[in-house]
Amino acid sequence: MRFTRISKAVAIGATAALALSACAASTGTNDSSSGADEGEGNGGEIRVVEVNAFSSFNDNTAKGNVDINSKIAYTTQSDFNYIDNDLKVQKNEKFGKYEVESEDPLTVKYTINEGVKWSDGEPVNADDMMMAWAISSGHFNDAKTDDEGEVTAGTNYFDYAGDTSGLALTDVPEIGDDNRSITLKYSKPFADWETSFGMMGPAHVVADKAGMTVDELTELFKTADKGDPENPSKKPNKKLKKAADFWNTGFDTKSLPDDESLYLSSGPFIVDKIVPDQSMTLVRNEDYDWGPEPKVDSIVVRYISESPAQVQALKNQEVDIIAPQASADTLESLEALGDQVVVETGDQLSYDHIDLNYNGVFKDKDVRKAFMHTIPRQQIVDTIIKKLNPDAKPLDSQLFVPDNDGYEESAKNNGSADYQKADIEKAKELLDGKKPKVRIMYSKDNPNRADAYSLIAASAKKAGFKVVDGGLGASEWGSALGGGTYDATIFGWISSGVGVTGVPQIFGTGSSSNFNKFSDKKADELMDELIVTTDEKKQTDLQIQIDKLIWDSGYGLPLFQSVGVDAYDSGVEGVEYMSNQTGVWWNFWDWNLKK
Amino acid sequence: MVTYIIRRLVTAVLILLGASFVVYQLTAAAGDPLDELRQSNAPNKDQLIAQRVALLDLGTPAPLRYFKWLGGAAQCVVPLVGKCDLGQKMNGEPVVDALGRAAGQTILLITAATILAIVIGIGLGIITALRQYSTLDYSVTFMAFLFFSLPIFWIAVLLKEFGAIGFNDFLRDPVFSPTSILITAICLGIVVVLFMGGSYLKRIIGFLIGAAATAGLMYALSVTGWFSTPGLGPILIALFGVGIAYLATQLTAGVKNRKALYSSLLMVPAGLIAYYALNPVLSGISGWGILGLFVATLAVGCIVGWFMGGFDRGQSMRAAALSAFFVGGLVMLDRFMVEWPNYFSNGRVRGRPIATIGSSTPNLEGNWWIQNIDLFTHLLLPTVALLLVSLASYSRYSRASMLEIMQMDYIRTARAKGLPERTVVMRHAFRNALIPLATLVAFDIGGLIGGAVITERVFAFTGMGNLFVDSLLPVPDPNPVMGVFLVTGILALVFNLIADLAYSVLDPRVRVKA
Repeated sequence: MRFTRISKAVAIGATAALALSACAASTGTNDSSSGADEGEGNGGEIRVVEVNAFSSFNDNTAKGNVDINSKIAYTTQSDFNYIDNDLKVQKNEKFGKYEVESEDPLTVKYTINEGVKWSDGEPVNADDMMMAWAISSGHFNDAKTDDEGEVTAGTNYFDYAGDTSGLALTDVPEIGDDNRSITLKYSKPFADWETSFGMMGPAHVVADKAGMTVDELTELFKTADKGDPENPSKKPNKKLKKAADFWNTGFDTKSLPDDESLYLSSGPFIVDKIVPDQSMTLVRNEDYDWGPEPKVDSIVVRYISESPAQVQALKNQEVDIIAPQASADTLESLEALGDQVVVETGDQLSYDHIDLNYNGVFKDKDVRKAFMHTIPRQQIVDTIIKKLNPDAKPLDSQLFVPDNDGYEESAKNNGSADYQKADIEKAKELLDGKKPKVRIMYSKDNPNRADAYSLIAASAKKAGFKVVDGGLGASEWGSALGGGTYDATIFGWISSGVGVTGVPQIFGTGSSSNFNKFSDKKADELMDELIVTTDEKKQTDLQIQIDKLIWDSGYGLPLFQSVGVDAYDSGVEGVEYMSNQTGVWWNFWDWNLKK
Repeated sequence: MVTYIIRRLVTAVLILLGASFVVYQLTAAAGDPLDELRQSNAPNKDQLIAQRVALLDLGTPAPLRYFKWLGGAAQCVVPLVGKCDLGQKMNGEPVVDALGRAAGQTILLITAATILAIVIGIGLGIITALRQYSTLDYSVTFMAFLFFSLPIFWIAVLLKEFGAIGFNDFLRDPVFSPTSILITAICLGIVVVLFMGGSYLKRIIGFLIGAAATAGLMYALSVTGWFSTPGLGPILIALFGVGIAYLATQLTAGVKNRKALYSSLLMVPAGLIAYYALNPVLSGISGWGILGLFVATLAVGCIVGWFMGGFDRGQSMRAAALSAFFVGGLVMLDRFMVEWPNYFSNGRVRGRPIATIGSSTPNLEGNWWIQNIDLFTHLLLPTVALLLVSLASYSRYSRASMLEIMQMDYIRTARAKGLPERTVVMRHAFRNALIPLATLVAFDIGGLIGGAVITERVFAFTGMGNLFVDSLLPVPDPNPVMGVFLVTGILALVFNLIADLAYSVLDPRVRVKA
């Protein structure tokens, strides 16, 4: 009885519900049109994932020098050139041009085109270049530092994170062409002159915040005394200090400042919105026409630190482009997505290598060579890298990476062919019955290096070496470098990709990254010549010679380049793999949504 | 009592000082801040090292650096100075700002999860205690422990895979396949059986009804395209409303109290009137407006209860206010559903509403409803993940506590004097069973603000846990770590104190001895 009553009620209720569902009060506010279009134009929006969160509009200070800040600067600050994914310097002649006026003394004239302006309407001109020069030359710095790096006297004005050694060779530049050009004169030729000068932000803003006019600031740069660290002045130059202090910290921000002058753009995009630690939105700079023009209307950057989370976000189409940490798991999960995404892998500029100390057991060149013959490079690549990059090969040069022009020639020439695989017989022959004890130092917490160590140790034992495991924890091994507590070490270096000034830093006698104390007179001479050679062809020739000297002396062996990976939704086109720190951003103007 | 609190606070300060010193030293020793630079081959390596030494003040030994930091931190507690200097992060941002933002994100992430875990956990605990050793008891225990023992990153990844990616795929064409209807129906049928008791025949009938109802519902939802254009409509609001009114009355006063029942039931037509009357207002409403409406709703419930009167006005008011609250919730839920298609078709959502990362869709424009749907779609998965793993402790504690209380003499006395079981359970047992949980809840809230490190990492939330991890790797940066430590440390100590005080207030047998 009760049962039927209930079911009747339910039946009536259900019928009524269906009948009356039409009398619902509202169908919602139909304002979907306002948010439905992506951006204003019809180029659409692309979402890119980054690991680190944005923290500064100035990526040139020690504090602001974080990859994401550099990428944002890359999209919002135009410059004379950029580096493409073949590691070639590409000029942007629509922005301005630079010409070598004389080879000796090296004189370069930089001219910015008319019409190039900041997003507040002020022209980009020689004032900005003067400031860039003042910052990247360290011209005014007179700080004296002790061994621990503490400043004992004098002042470092601009807290510039880049290398000042190139522009330090120049004197105060000359301004010309209606305040649109400057001319840099180097006291001696400088090999990397082409990449050593770049724009450093708007001078008129820095001047304004330091309480002067932009002309006063430029005048200051022209007239202030050159700093001399040997003879530090007691009192810092107050005006210069004020300008420098603002440049050092004034552009640091996690959120979008109310003051628009703090994020002026001279590039294709301008920052429109920032949600701290979550996302930031770049929209087109309407005035921009002095360089490659972007195809999309806006770029949204989202921060995801974990690689698996990046992959799932890509799968859920919340983001369009990711560049996760390359690991076998990540690649596998990306490939499982099939046609939905495009996956690109390639070499990175960082590479692992094993170095032998030029003292202790390895004082004898034959012992070094014997040890090098035991290193199973091919096997190391097969075990560690092949699963990420099936085309991987051992790196065959100490100075070049395969993207560089000189790589193939140098690899053919430097004798690397002898060290492709372990040659135990050869090693035994060179050892001549000796059984040297070798302590190998590496970071135990880096699985790739631990694997490389086990393979090398196993192979070296066959030839008669007594291998001692000198692996240290992640926080200890770095400070042990160069300390003489080991005979060989496995670790990584980062090739600069473009430029040659990094070469003597590793291989020059007595330089601070020369941990194994390699010293070769001929090589030193060639390196001295290399850093004053401005001709690219000649640079390559010199490097090939140096490379051979290094290999011949039994320095150690490069092992492999790290693998990088990026992936993007198949609805996006124009993304190309890039091996340096700029990553996929290098050609952001080509990114496009397939229609 | 006052001396007791003061004594506790003084000890707390000493503990904080000692612990902060230890944490600072440990962080400073956690790694080599120059590690990546030492192995660098940059031409300006020495300059980079000098800059980092200056940035992190590495020239000063860590024990001394602690006192420098303390000097700044101490200003936070000195009144009138008005500035709080917890140092800077390595990228130059003041730690105070970073902490404020991270704490906001963490609170956003954990609030719903914590409240739901407490309510559902305690509810399950009480129910399983009342039905000790039943199938329900065993299955709830089993599930609670199962989720408790699963690693949260794994739950989170599974939730993303099926709850977000799978569900979004489903929404593209929201039609259930016969297989999925069949499987879900069987599963829900089994759930019904678990909650039932009684003979096998009764259980089988229960299973069939449960399964049939599920299948019917899924079919109807599928056919009407409910997932594309969801909504409740006046009829469903009325039906659910009546159910809510009965339930609310049963919990607060018992349905025998007719005055209370009628005041509750009156809330249903009131809600329906509001549903039509408020419709124009709701479009452009703000968060404060919604809050105001809820206050008004509760007030209406209380007023109606007051005028219905009866032998116990309070009971009627409580019952009416409770049902008013939930009927109001139904009206709001309907409104959210009505706005759903607008959210779904928004270009920035791209037809994939359930998100796997972060707390909002960048640049999403829309009214209060759209923004909150967005918040919901972002918080859904992390909330479920946190909820699943924290259910176990609440349900087990409350079950044990309830079982203990039910054995007490005064419960027998209450039954003996003829009180209805509802009163015995709700008023005599339930309230007392909650006392030990006060400690647990206080601890948990204190601990949760410290951040759910793994959940935050997996769902790309930048809360306290994330701040902590990011400040340790790759370069150990003591300032933000200390910031996180201060907040968690202070909260732990404060909530500890609150728990003790609350205990003595709730349970007169426990006296604080000054």
